[in-house]
Amino acid sequence: MTEAKKVVDAHSHRIWDVIMVGAGPAALSAALYTSREDITTLLFEKGAIGGYAAVTDWIDNYPGFPKGVAGLELADNLRLQAERFGAIIELGDVLSLKRSEGLIELDTTSGLFKARAVLLATGSDWKKIGVPGEKEYFGRGVHYCATCDGAFYRDKRLAVIGGGNSAVQEAIFLTRYASHIDLLVRGDSFRASEVLQHELKKHREKITIHLNTTTDEIVAVDNKVHHVLGTRKTTGKKIEYPVDGVFVFVGLEPNTQFLKGSGVDLDEIRLIKTNDHLETSVKGIFSAGDCRSGATMQIASATGEGAKAALEIREYLNKMKG
Amino acid sequence: MVKDITIYTTNTCAYCVMVKKWLGTKGHTYKEVNLDDHPERQKEAFEASGQLAVPVTIVTKKDDSKEVIVGYNLAKLAPAVA
Repeated sequence: MTEAKKVVDAHSHRIWDVIMVGAGPAALSAALYTSREDITTLLFEKGAIGGYAAVTDWIDNYPGFPKGVAGLELADNLRLQAERFGAIIELGDVLSLKRSEGLIELDTTSGLFKARAVLLATGSDWKKIGVPGEKEYFGRGVHYCATCDGAFYRDKRLAVIGGGNSAVQEAIFLTRYASHIDLLVRGDSFRASEVLQHELKKHREKITIHLNTTTDEIVAVDNKVHHVLGTRKTTGKKIEYPVDGVFVFVGLEPNTQFLKGSGVDLDEIRLIKTNDHLETSVKGIFSAGDCRSGATMQIASATGEGAKAALEIREYLNKMKG
Repeated sequence: MVKDITIYTTNTCAYCVMVKKWLGTKGHTYKEVNLDDHPERQKEAFEASGQLAVPVTIVTKKDDSKEVIVGYNLAKLAPAVA
């Protein structure tokens, strides 16, 4: 086994070989590869190390874990493996970046940093549904993280909004707390995998499925979430779902706002465009994982892309050295 | 100056882990109230923060004033413990 490297901190290099924005599965995998090859590697993380993998209750589709693995455990193992070879994780936010004099300059909450190459692996954040009541009752009746906030709903009624993998997975997770869950799905079928749909059927005593149902408003009474107002699309009928809380899982939007003015090209839904080498429109800036245009939004893909990005970055750095 | 720090957490909350990790790297000690182990104390967390969410970090200063931070929010947490 290779010996662990001596710990340094974010300010130990004047210029880093590579700075990674984000510390989710893509960046942690890339960092494992780069740091193992003595490429000095610094990661910035403003949220949870491990990204959304870390806040996912249970992951059944990541290879190498025949019985599945807790998201928090997978995230921690990815972190430990990257740190073992010398990658440094700085808990802070990258505010902006630009290419200047052959390097990339990053303005961060920890100060100004310079790198020869940058990997953008910022992942995504939960989309909002944009209905009345959602913003007003965020954190006190409206939530986007079941593993964080589910414990407040012991023996309470919940609505879960969404029909994809996350919505189904988190609805199943919430059955450990809630007395009943109304699962409101806008489409006429689930987008979730067959495996998850099969699992969902085992929880029919607690979860009631409402297909073809829009969520129109989250209504509070006496400043507490009281019911969700929805519409059955097939009949136009308005329906009230009495609930104590609402968990929203209707897809993801990329964390790319900070790239405004950087020259990094985004697609029409603000995902980062890359070429076959995972390089963006700005020389020396690469991207991998859920924030990249064409990403499959799977942890296994993110780690694979992270490894590819690391090899491309190594190639780029070698060319820089001439 | 900080007198003490209490964090309300749950077993599955990744952001709770991050708050504890960050406080640890800054050399702060804290008391942890795990709401999965002590559901009867959820009311305390809600009354302090006004939110049904964790982590809730309560920083008590030497003059007994309190700052309450919900979530893993370094922009609020860092000045609160400075």
